Amino acid sequence: MAIAKNTYELTYIVNSVLSEEQIKDLVERVTVYIKEGGSDILDVDVWGSRRLAYPIQKKRNGFYVNMYFRAPGAFIGRLERALEIDDNILRYLTLKLDAKMVRHFEAQKSQRAEAPAAETTEDNG
Amino acid sequence: MARGKKSSKPRRRTSEPPKKIEIDEPEYVDYKDVDMLKRFLNEQGKLLPRRVTGVSAKFQRQLTRATKRARHLSLIPFVADAVR
Repeated sequence: MAIAKNTYELTYIVNSVLSEEQIKDLVERVTVYIKEGGSDILDVDVWGSRRLAYPIQKKRNGFYVNMYFRAPGAFIGRLERALEIDDNILRYLTLKLDAKMVRHFEAQKSQRAEAPAAETTEDNG
Repeated sequence: MARGKKSSKPRRRTSEPPKKIEIDEPEYVDYKDVDMLKRFLNEQGKLLPRRVTGVSAKFQRQLTRATKRARHLSLIPFVADAVR
């Protein structure tokens, strides 16, 4: 019987003091770790460096990454422990998406799918 | 400590306040939607009460949940220091 998978949303903030490649490498490691956890990744949305509303660990900026994936429930405990251990991840928030949130996510995704199409035509126009 | 004297006056039912914030209430309030959330916070960054914004109870509950998540991820300040 296939393991039951839920849909999750994970947003985490990476210490922006790191160099560009270190951040990219860390984000890549997280994504790979999640994939290896037997989950299929729906969407990875990198917001990049943003000003924090209040300093976290004395830092004013953070590198935000927001992603959606489907994973077996048991994996989430391991994932969060890994995020805890890594000092460069300042903060994270994992949410289990219920039906309403999934619908909201699908709607957002389809909206964004159309928007860039419109934008790109303007750019090189 | 004696409890305060119970006020004998019946609680006056205030009239329905005009709906201050016109918004089509989405099915799910996303904590990432900072601009929308900000409309429901006062200058100190506190959540406006329903009697001021006139939103539905369901929406208000989602609002509080989304605001707390946004604050956790430092998208919104816990205390916006209003410059006095």
